[in-house]
Amino acid sequence: MTEPARRLLLLLFLMLAGLGYSYAQVRYERPVDTAPQPQTIGGGYSVPEVQKPLPRRQWLQVLDVGVLALALGLSVWLVISKRSRRWAQFLTIGSLAYFGFYREGCICPVGSIQNVAVALTDPHYSIPIVVTATFFLPIGVAMFYGRAFCGGVCALGAMQELVVLKPIQVPRRLDQALGLLKYAYLGIAIWQAIQPFAAREFLICRFDPFVGFFRRDGFAHMLYVGAAFLIVGMFVGRPYCRYLCPYGGLLAWASRLSKRGVTITPDKELDCGLCTEACPYGAIDKMRAIRKDCLYCARCYSSCPRTNEAALVQIGAPR
Amino acid sequence: MADTPTRRDLIGTLSRGAAFLTLSGTAGYLVQKAQGQIVWQVDAIKCVNSRIGDTATEACSLCTTACVVTQSAVRAVNDFANCGRCNICPAYYNIKSAVDPATGLPSEKRCPRDAITRKPIGLADPQDPANNFYEYVIDENKCDGCGKCVMGCKEPMGLGSVRLMVRHGLCVDCNRCAISISCPKDAIERKVVSEALTLQKVEHAEK
Repeated sequence: MTEPARRLLLLLFLMLAGLGYSYAQVRYERPVDTAPQPQTIGGGYSVPEVQKPLPRRQWLQVLDVGVLALALGLSVWLVISKRSRRWAQFLTIGSLAYFGFYREGCICPVGSIQNVAVALTDPHYSIPIVVTATFFLPIGVAMFYGRAFCGGVCALGAMQELVVLKPIQVPRRLDQALGLLKYAYLGIAIWQAIQPFAAREFLICRFDPFVGFFRRDGFAHMLYVGAAFLIVGMFVGRPYCRYLCPYGGLLAWASRLSKRGVTITPDKELDCGLCTEACPYGAIDKMRAIRKDCLYCARCYSSCPRTNEAALVQIGAPR
Repeated sequence: MADTPTRRDLIGTLSRGAAFLTLSGTAGYLVQKAQGQIVWQVDAIKCVNSRIGDTATEACSLCTTACVVTQSAVRAVNDFANCGRCNICPAYYNIKSAVDPATGLPSEKRCPRDAITRKPIGLADPQDPANNFYEYVIDENKCDGCGKCVMGCKEPMGLGSVRLMVRHGLCVDCNRCAISISCPKDAIERKVVSEALTLQKVEHAEK
C-alpha cells in the first residue's frame, strides 16, 4: 500500500471509531416544540392538577392570635386573681405544647420585634396583620398587668420554666448587670434588621436557642446552645429570659407602667421572707415584687403562709 | 386619702395613656400597610437551573444544601400543562449515558433520589413504546430540590416545564430564608401568596 492510501485507511478507521462511540449514547433531539394537548394524547387523558401546598390558612392564623389572647388573659387571671401556681403551670405546659411544639415556635412575639422594626423603616416591607397583633398584644397586657406573657404563654420561657430544679439566688448586683445585656441585644437585633435588604440579619431568630427543639430539626450548634441554656437553667432560673430576651426587655419597660401585677401585699405580710427565697428570678427585693423582673410564675404565692394553711401552722404565725 | 388620686396616680395614668396611644398608632400604621400573607418563592426566570440562556451545565443544588430544614422545603415541580411528555425525557434520563440495548433508552436516570416516575399515557401502543406519550410525576416525599431534572428539562433540551418551587407546607418561613442568602442569582423572593402559587412560564424560543 502506498503511503497516502494507508493514511486514508487510518482516517477512515478513526472516523468509524468516532461514530461507534457516538452511537453508544442516544442522539438526543427534542421531539416536540410545544406541549402536546389532551386531544393529541388521546385515550381520555386529562392534564393533572399541579399540586400546590398552601401556607397555613388564614383562619388558623387568626386562631393563633385568639389562642395568644386567651392564654394572656388566663395567665393574668390564674396568677393575679386565683394565685394558683398549679394552674399557672398547666397553662405553661399548654402554651409549650401549642406555641412550641404544635406551631413550632413561629411566629412568636420575640422574633416579631425585627419584623416590626423593618416594616416601620422599609417602605417596601410589610407584615401581615397577625404578626402586628402577635407583637402588640403581650405589650398591651404588660402595660396593665406586667409580664403575664413571660409566665404562662411564651414557649421559650415555658421550656426554661419547666426545667427550674434547684435555683440559686444570683447576687443582686450581678443580676442587674447581666439584665442589661438584653437591652444591648435588643439594640443590636433591631440595628441588624433595619439594614438594607442585602445586609439584613435576623439575629433573634437565627440564634433562637430553642426553636430547634420545637421543630425537632435544626443546626447542631444551636441545639447545643439550647441544651446548655436548659442545663444552666436548672440552677439559674430562666437565664435566656432574664439576661438575653430582647422582648423581655420591651415587656420590662411596658410593665413599669402597669397598675396591677404580682404584689406582696403590705399589711397582710408576715415578714417571713419565704416568698423572696421561693422566687428563682430575683424579682422580690425587700419584700416587694419588682414588676419589671417578675415572670408570673406564682411561686411566691404558693410559698406564702397566708395562702398555705399548712405553712402557717408550721411557722406558728397568727391566723 | 386612699380614694383621692395622688400626683403619682395621675402621672401613671397619663404615661399609660400616652404609651397606649403611641402603640396603637404604630399598630394602626402597620395594619394599614399590611399586604396579606407573604411567603418565600423561587423565581423560575432567575433560577440558574431553569433560566434560559445561562451557560451553566452543572445543576445548582444550593436549595438542597442551604435550607434550614433537613430535607429542603424546595421541590422540583412539573408543570404538566407545558410538559412535552417525551419518550426520552431529558429530566428523567441522563441523555449522555450509554444506551441500554434492550430498551433503546438511556441507561442512567438523572434524579439521584429516584423521585420521578414515568408512565405511558393516552392511547399507548405497546408495540412501539418510543411513539407514546409519557407522564412524569415527581414524588414530593423523595425530592429534595437538587435541581438536576430542572436543568435537564431546560431549553433547548426540553420545554422547561420543570422548575423549583418552595413548598409552603414544608417551608418554616424564616425571616431571612437561608437559601436566599446563598442564592447567587437572588432567585428566592418574598411574594404575596397568590403570586407565589402561580406557576411561572419560562418562555422558550419559537422554532
